Amino acid sequence: MTWIALYLRSRRAPAALVVSIGGAALMWTLWSLASNSRAVGVQMVILTVLLLVAALTVTLGGPDDALEATASLPWPPRRIAHLVIAFLLVVVPLLATLATGARFEPVGLVIRDAAGLLGLTALGAATVGTARAWFLPLGWTLAAALFPQPEPLLGRILTWQAQAPDSTAAGLTAALLAVGGLVVYAAKGPVTRL
Amino acid sequence: MSRVLGIELRRSAAAGTALLLAAAGALLLYFTAEAMFSAGWMQLAMTQRLFLAVLWPLALAAGAWQATRDRRSGVTELFASTPRPRASRVAPTLVTMAIAVFAGYLAMGIAGSLRIIGTAEYLPVQFVTVTAVGLLALIAAVWLGMAAGRALPWLVTAPALAVAGLGLLLLIPGATRPRGWLALVFSPIYEMNMPDDYATVPFRASVSQAVWLAALAVTAVLLFVADSRRLRVAAVLPVVLGAALAITVMPHQDRYVTGAVDPVARDLVCDEDDPRVCVSRVHTGLLPEIVGPARDALTALAQLPGAPATVHEDTTTYIPDVYPPWRTDVTMFRVEVGKDGHLVDPDSVLPEVVAGAFASPPDCEDRSARMADRYAAAHWLIGSEPVAPETSPAEMAEVPYVAEAVEIWRGLQTMPDAEAQARVERLRKDALACTVDGGLSKP
Repeated sequence: MTWIALYLRSRRAPAALVVSIGGAALMWTLWSLASNSRAVGVQMVILTVLLLVAALTVTLGGPDDALEATASLPWPPRRIAHLVIAFLLVVVPLLATLATGARFEPVGLVIRDAAGLLGLTALGAATVGTARAWFLPLGWTLAAALFPQPEPLLGRILTWQAQAPDSTAAGLTAALLAVGGLVVYAAKGPVTRL
Repeated sequence: MSRVLGIELRRSAAAGTALLLAAAGALLLYFTAEAMFSAGWMQLAMTQRLFLAVLWPLALAAGAWQATRDRRSGVTELFASTPRPRASRVAPTLVTMAIAVFAGYLAMGIAGSLRIIGTAEYLPVQFVTVTAVGLLALIAAVWLGMAAGRALPWLVTAPALAVAGLGLLLLIPGATRPRGWLALVFSPIYEMNMPDDYATVPFRASVSQAVWLAALAVTAVLLFVADSRRLRVAAVLPVVLGAALAITVMPHQDRYVTGAVDPVARDLVCDEDDPRVCVSRVHTGLLPEIVGPARDALTALAQLPGAPATVHEDTTTYIPDVYPPWRTDVTMFRVEVGKDGHLVDPDSVLPEVVAGAFASPPDCEDRSARMADRYAAAHWLIGSEPVAPETSPAEMAEVPYVAEAVEIWRGLQTMPDAEAQARVERLRKDALACTVDGGLSKP
């Protein structure tokens, strides 16, 4: 128990949790106030997933990753558990809104984008460093959310975040990013770069 | 100072920011807006402004990221202990980041200009003002990001700020409805989408936006350099004054930019030889492609009595509808620019120009010739079967009148030449007089 408490503290988990839950609550409130429609706009859903993922990105690395890696602990399962819990922290609050007046739908899109973006950010944390891990997910998702390209196939792959949940190309891209991020992060762990 | 600036350019996020903006901008231009900016320089400038929807939040994030550098490097306390005033210490950083977004936006423009440099000739002054406002928007964003990053020096600040910035841009038009002009003041992208070929941005709109963005930038700088509470409170002043001034300058009317037409871009420019072929100034670069088929069209039309002797581009603009002067000795056609800056379908110029001779005056509504009849008559004069023109965008490829035009054309082919000639001449005469009743199929 002590280990988990220390680990969570070193990863600034409480603050990240507050920011991510607060972000979800803020987006939910904004939509409830601004619109009469029960289904939240797709752009807003994508941006909310992005915001939650960005908030949880911070927890992917500690204050001294090189030092941490020297500890003779079985890191890969812990890192996988970390990512899985982060994924649940993105998805569960948004799924909970399905029971309320501002629903973050469709479920398939929320799950796909959360998995894909979390994978992408984990990939970033393991390569360019946790501090810079959000660059690519942010830039890519902003462009994709505003200008989704349903045609041709390359467009569906490049703007996977904003495709309909039944799009195979977008689903596969997200799955590839999710699995790739999970594997690389579990194997390599976070790196620190100033 | 220049040495410090050089060091700061290398050690800050400047290079990455410039690269990011240029790459994102160029990708957006080429993947999502190919056909939007191919007509000319003004369309490129306006399309670039539209993509501020992505670049503006990214600039906010870049600024916030840069401002958290001291904290990431753990030197905040060290710097706070030096006697040098904060303003003079951070000035090079502010300048560097401004240079970075400037370079990124210009590089995006250069990338876009590669596509149109061969065909675009008309370069209005508004091109400069629209681009300058875009640059100012990015500079204000990156400085605002730095101010926010200084106030909240956490990792999550930058991405959260970008999401908030995009949300703000998306919300402005909704929040100011029904006063559309108010959105035009505060949003650098509003009403910039789908610029048509004669589009322009009135100078007053640009001035108003520039005032607002400059005020925002000043406030951001004050917030970023301030080391006293009093200065931080005073930073509110420029943004309030700027907002008030910008609202006063902007004309309080809706569709101010959407309805704006550049009369100079729309003026006709003619080929020097006879018979005269004229296109609007914005399409001057396409004149060599048009002159040949347009003259062939005049030759085909010469079979008619009182045939038009001049070809003009149809420069009609809609909402409000403004028509070029109506003349019976002129045949008009619309110039459609494709993705590559050239004509969408050079083969369609000939039939379009010939069909233009069967058009009616603008105020003639249901007494004008139907499209199918016009094209059937045109193709009868040319001597070839009607084909569907390529259109832009490609989804509109279903041209409804082609099948019917082919049918009418076949009917004409089976008639004796004199009979067909008489019907085509009648169509032309009725169309000009605004008395069409029945068309070519009617005996």
